[in-house]
Amino acid sequence: MPVSNDGVIGLFNRGLDAASLRQDTTANNLANLNTPNFSRSHVSFEDNLRQAMEQEERPSIRATHPQHFGVPDPDEVEPRVEVDDQSVKRIDGNNVEMEKEMLNMVKNQLKFNAMSDQTSQRFNTWEYIINEGR
Amino acid sequence: MSLFSAFNISGSGLTAEKLRLDLIAGNLSNMNTTRTPQGGPYQRRTAVFAEQLNEAQQRGAGRTAGAGAEVGGPGPAGQSYDSPGSGVRVDRIIPDPNEPRQVYDPEHPDADEETGYVEYPNIEVAKEMTDMITAQRSYESNSTAVNTAKDMYMKALEIGQ
Repeated sequence: MPVSNDGVIGLFNRGLDAASLRQDTTANNLANLNTPNFSRSHVSFEDNLRQAMEQEERPSIRATHPQHFGVPDPDEVEPRVEVDDQSVKRIDGNNVEMEKEMLNMVKNQLKFNAMSDQTSQRFNTWEYIINEGR
Repeated sequence: MSLFSAFNISGSGLTAEKLRLDLIAGNLSNMNTTRTPQGGPYQRRTAVFAEQLNEAQQRGAGRTAGAGAEVGGPGPAGQSYDSPGSGVRVDRIIPDPNEPRQVYDPEHPDADEETGYVEYPNIEVAKEMTDMITAQRSYESNSTAVNTAKDMYMKALEIGQ
């Protein structure tokens, strides 16, 4: 396995992208804390990725139309921002809960830090191998 | 999605909440103002916020059923985008249309000559104070979001060190 093709680094890379997008989304929810009729949004990524990765075989069934079903390729699962209009709304039509957003933000930051550390670790391992264990 | 969009989004929130705080300060300081350039007592001002949509949302594009979304499943599938909105903007500043407070004070130069009543602004201190606390907390939450984004970017810069 060449270092440029390390799947783990690729996965962390995409996880970091998703965490970054989630930070943007949380920031947007918090910025709109007092906007009437605003619906919060959240990022969906991990569940979709797991679903795609749990496929034992990877049949090449691609959905060519958004209304069709397909088996997504793990490499093609993208983080998506989804509007949540199901949660209970406040009297001004807004459904952002500050406590929830703050918790999500802290959780996301820890996840980001963990993935960032692990990516560094992975690079260090490769450096160790390249230097023949010296 | 630009590199610093989290900062721009939180920045828009900070600006909007700061403006709200400015309006509250203006309302409180003009609590007893009976003269304005337009004539009549000062009118309470409030800000109307609106969501700042991203470009895709403005065009109505980029709205596809996300991977794994149940198309035709129970309930509305919900809309999905590849980036969130761009924060908040102040749509308008509106004067409070409620009637002014009437206080009997015939000595006052702005008193009605026949009835002796003076029209004071319709400002409730308790309401302004609670609004001020909400504005402050919202400002703090946006500022926390800025710090979190900064820490995350700093952490990403450490990769490979």
